[in-house]
Amino acid sequence: MSNQPLVLGIETSCDETAVGIVRGRTLLANVIASSVEEHARFGGVVPEIASRAHLEAMPTVIKQALLEAKVSLRDLDAIGVTAGPGLIGALLVGTSAAHGLALALNKPIYGVNHLSSHLAVDALDESRPLQPAIGLLVSGGHSSIIQVTDMARGVKVLGATIDDAAGEAFDKIARILELDFPGGPAIDRLALSGNPTAIDFPRGLQSSDYNFSFSGLKTAVARYLKQTPAPHRADIAASFQEAIVDVLLTKALRATAETGIDSLIIAGGVAANSRLRAEAARRCALAKVELRTPPPLLCTDNGAMVAAMTSLALSAGVASSKPGFPTLSTVPLDQPTWA
Amino acid sequence: MTTILAIDTSTDRTTVGVVLDGVVIKELHHDDPLAHGEVLPTLVEKLLEASSEIDLVAIAMGPGPFTGLRVGIAFGQAFALAREIPWVGVSTLAAMALAHAELEFVVAIDARRREFFCEHYMNGKLYAPAITLQREEIALVPFPIFYDPPTAQNIAQLAATAMGVQEPIYIRKPDAYPAPKGVKFRPWTHIDLVDIYALEKSIYLDDPWSMEQFKEEQAGKGRQYLVAEFAGKVVGYAGIMLAGDVTDILTLTVAPEHRRRGIARELLKRMVDWSRNQKVDAMMLEMRVGNLEAEPLYLASGFRKISERPDYYGPGLTAIVMRKELGK
Ligand SMILES: [Zn+2]
Repeated sequence: MSNQPLVLGIETSCDETAVGIVRGRTLLANVIASSVEEHARFGGVVPEIASRAHLEAMPTVIKQALLEAKVSLRDLDAIGVTAGPGLIGALLVGTSAAHGLALALNKPIYGVNHLSSHLAVDALDESRPLQPAIGLLVSGGHSSIIQVTDMARGVKVLGATIDDAAGEAFDKIARILELDFPGGPAIDRLALSGNPTAIDFPRGLQSSDYNFSFSGLKTAVARYLKQTPAPHRADIAASFQEAIVDVLLTKALRATAETGIDSLIIAGGVAANSRLRAEAARRCALAKVELRTPPPLLCTDNGAMVAAMTSLALSAGVASSKPGFPTLSTVPLDQPTWA
Repeated sequence: MTTILAIDTSTDRTTVGVVLDGVVIKELHHDDPLAHGEVLPTLVEKLLEASSEIDLVAIAMGPGPFTGLRVGIAFGQAFALAREIPWVGVSTLAAMALAHAELEFVVAIDARRREFFCEHYMNGKLYAPAITLQREEIALVPFPIFYDPPTAQNIAQLAATAMGVQEPIYIRKPDAYPAPKGVKFRPWTHIDLVDIYALEKSIYLDDPWSMEQFKEEQAGKGRQYLVAEFAGKVVGYAGIMLAGDVTDILTLTVAPEHRRRGIARELLKRMVDWSRNQKVDAMMLEMRVGNLEAEPLYLASGFRKISERPDYYGPGLTAIVMRKELGK
């Protein structure tokens, strides 16, 4: 146990200031400070406000994580930090703090891919082998189907959204329905009192590949709302959610069938959606596919996933990043760590 | 013996240095306004090869372009946390000013978007705290302007001697904050005097009007006094007096945190309207030389310098007399 590497991970790509600490594949701490309430009045994340909040929260969040993990900075074997994709100003607060720690402690630093980290957090469930697996990564910025054969060195993207990400679709529909920001949890709550089969919204892109398209669905909801005199909003939320969940799971399960990999990881912010989790459990059981969904708190952005990704890279002997590595607003999914 | 690691990312230059009791052991810098995040770690890595023992981290807290500014602060704070040593923040403009000995000068940082963060120094002391000036406005400043970034030595010197700055110095409001509508303009009443007097004292440190002066002014004839009220608080005030065939602006003041929102401009416009109704020929005002924020506003409103009054505001403090013809 104690020969496992102790890693601290920092995540600031959007509006959560998050620090996680893991030892090997064991989660020791996961502390998150969110500025979401400050963004709510603007109906979306404001980069400048997010960056300010990160700077204010950073030292406290680091200290809190150390307290929770009952370790000290000197004990660390490596520092991991999200280097992209994300808001550059926000990312820079995290990478700068990570560099400050790493240089002060003379420890290696890993700039890691936020997207790979969403999948890598699954490693913290030690009861299961990590790979191979099919990954369904669904968040505000991404909707992708991924084949995981070597988490530490690279994954293969089978398909992705050609327009809106799933999380974006949730946010947009929430705005159409005049729900609060962020839209995902708001729709999830409203849908609980609605009928998911009330309205048959289009499923979009029924093609044989693994790509998604959600813009047609968004338009259909908007049109329905305009044409219906007294729309039942809970039914709309439930039916919209049903359509998205159906598309995501149909394609993800087709990927498991076609690759012969009988393990499915669902990760990313949208993986916290209760309907997606319930329906995935039902369909995976039917298809005899092992379902792996991290607990909701590890699905939305957090530092533990960055620490997990770093720990995997370190254990696999992947070289650490060179201090001064770049932060990037967009990064392909198949590059888990930076050179 | 104190070894200070000095860090500045608040200007286009990234500067780091190790300073031992005022003596620079090693200093490195790199000029690139958009690469502070990449540059800072590589410079510090090299620096630590020369001297790894650090007792204190000194961080330039701005003002400066936000993204770069936060790189140095996040890095420096984390470094101090990991080494279990203290950090001290210092004002970048104050550090820049240490390098100059002129009687009167301005230090300025390019804040991008045609704006500059400026501070005005006189007789070796801070005269006017940091403000934002437009490129056109800074061209009107009548004394030397220095843009050279602070040195590691200047930063370390401030950190070792002066009071620290705990928060990053953000002058410009984040773009996302909507300009406050809902500023009300109305004549002042005696109830406002407490607010007005508090604001006066906080701004005119040298010679504020006394409460008695305000009361006299309020009672006086041929005067117009206005307040700007926002969220139930007085955030600005202005006063003008009829003096024969001209009017004389007696005061025009806006709280620093509410500047650059058009409040002074609106107050001035109402003073002009009032003056026209008095059927006078012209408006007059006295203004401190080097009132960097007010001067462009008056010039833009048609005021012109007609004379100077040396020592008007005290020894060495010259007033400029300005006049605006109202015509017919
Ligand atoms: Zn994410």
